[in-house]
Amino acid sequence: MHTMPNSKQSRESDTDIILDVRKLRTSFRITGEWHAAVRDISFNLRRNETLALVGESGCGKSVTALSVLGLVPLQNGRVEAERIQLGEHNLQGLSEEEMREIRGNRISMIFQEPMTALNPVLTIGHQVAETLLYHRKMNKEEANKTALELLDKVKIPSASSRFKEYPHQFSGGMRQRVMIAMALACKPDIILADEPTTALDVTTQSQILALLNELKQDSGMSLIFITHNLGVVASIADRVAVMYAGKIVEIAYVNSLFAQPTHPYTEALMLSIPRSDRDIKTLHSISGQVPPIGRIPDGCSFAARCGLEQPICRKLDPTLKPIDVGLTHEVACWVRGDYNLTMIEEHANG
Amino acid sequence: MTSNTENIPMPKSNRALFLEQMNRTFRSNKLTGVGAAIFLLVVLAAIFAPLLSTHDHIDQNILNRLEGPSDQFLMGTDAYGRDIYSRLLHGARISLIIGGVAIISAMIIGTAIGIIAGYYGGRTDDVIMQFNDILLSFPTLILGLIVVAMLGPNMQNMIIAISLTSIPGFTRIARAPTIVIRERDFIEACRALGYRDWRIMVYHILPNVLSDVMVMASLWLATAIRTEASLSFIGLGVKPPEATWGGMIREGFENILDNPWLSIFPGLAILLVVFSLNLLGDGLRDAIDPKTREA
Repeated sequence: MHTMPNSKQSRESDTDIILDVRKLRTSFRITGEWHAAVRDISFNLRRNETLALVGESGCGKSVTALSVLGLVPLQNGRVEAERIQLGEHNLQGLSEEEMREIRGNRISMIFQEPMTALNPVLTIGHQVAETLLYHRKMNKEEANKTALELLDKVKIPSASSRFKEYPHQFSGGMRQRVMIAMALACKPDIILADEPTTALDVTTQSQILALLNELKQDSGMSLIFITHNLGVVASIADRVAVMYAGKIVEIAYVNSLFAQPTHPYTEALMLSIPRSDRDIKTLHSISGQVPPIGRIPDGCSFAARCGLEQPICRKLDPTLKPIDVGLTHEVACWVRGDYNLTMIEEHANG
Repeated sequence: MTSNTENIPMPKSNRALFLEQMNRTFRSNKLTGVGAAIFLLVVLAAIFAPLLSTHDHIDQNILNRLEGPSDQFLMGTDAYGRDIYSRLLHGARISLIIGGVAIISAMIIGTAIGIIAGYYGGRTDDVIMQFNDILLSFPTLILGLIVVAMLGPNMQNMIIAISLTSIPGFTRIARAPTIVIRERDFIEACRALGYRDWRIMVYHILPNVLSDVMVMASLWLATAIRTEASLSFIGLGVKPPEATWGGMIREGFENILDNPWLSIFPGLAILLVVFSLNLLGDGLRDAIDPKTREA
């Protein structure tokens, strides 16, 4: 078994990086004008690591995932990036045909809504087996056998008798397990999980999280986990990237982030978690909302909702800077970040 | 982890849900069952026409012309002394073959076009649907008439003509649910699994629109049989002496004052088939309605 990456260790060698995204910018055309929903974000993902993307609705989390998979609609969407490196492939340069080989095979996705993400008129077994027939070119018998093993692996009780049942005969949690089995079928390097537990009740949620964790350990794959729930993050993630208005504002190992939430937005998110271990009368809420992508202000996009706002925040957008010795905890905030002040002034004047 | 992978059950057929629903329909709505039963009888009569006939349906027997219904001639004879009953049975074959083949081919072509239009949307959809609307703007009979008049009256051309008039309807019926299904999460999931467009259309969208399409097919089969009869009536059908219902009604017209049965029996036959198909189709349509809502 692999050993878990220790949370405060310094950057590992590059050979361990399975996905490297540099300056990803995804724009959409809205009434004739192009607006960026994801603005020049960079991150990387190591083997067998779970990276959580956290933020409110409309922060660009899902768009980031769709961009990596090349599923942004071509008529109204545009994906630009310096590179999206998956192992030896730069996904930026691949044709649609080559991308189809990647999707479902090397990167697969789990969707938020298990009730609608399965085809209602096809059996569960058929849907899992289809992935194998398609990508692995198995014959029907092999595919069915492997599909059954997968259903067993995601802990669907009496899988062989439920193999030929339809999605409407399954509960939400069981359907999400089927989705996971489909995503897992071709042993992908990466699974993108887009709020996979949001539609489930709390008990089921923790079971699904435990399952994902276990499968990740077993298969050595990596996981990008999109959520707005910091409680979920704490239980599954190795590293966390906090997104706001299409940018990563803070990225850190999970322990470091929870011990020392530095960006005012991260801090506010933490205060907004309901807790049973403290006696709080009113729950903190962040006033205002994420600026719509057509009206993102100059400077730091969080400035309008931030209590610590300085004049510079309205003028210049801060970039991510490490704040710790190991250089693993990065923050983009003029007030809380670790910036060379003369540099800031130079920026402000020039 | 222990896994019991022996006795892998083969996936149940896609039609299972549909059949389940049909079963429920027949139980709850008696008229649907009646329609199905009548239509089945007509089909059996057509298949076993040579066995059920009491006389040859083409041989003329001038001595027995224009006789009324009797023991020897169950429904009487026509102006050439041919047995009406035997001719009706053989006419059923022609009507069902032309109607059936035309509707099945229209269903295949129309559904394929409709799914493609609905799935791709945009310019593709515009072009296909504009062309479709042009075809739809002709009354069924007129379009059929034009095509048969151009190609010449025979069985094959009748099939082409009737098929052509039914394609635009199927295109519309298949396109509408496709547009809805295209936006559903499981289609996005298919893309995320790297499936090709044709695979998504054939394996994931088609089974979802199939029930709608099949129900309409049963209703439009009635229309096709009427169109066939109409074209035969005005002399653009299968050539005599072969028996067709429309042709028999027309031949009967010449002697309608001497023996009205000549036109009445084929007219009743058409009525019976169209009526039974409408009962069947209406019942099936009601059956799938709530499902479309629920999904």
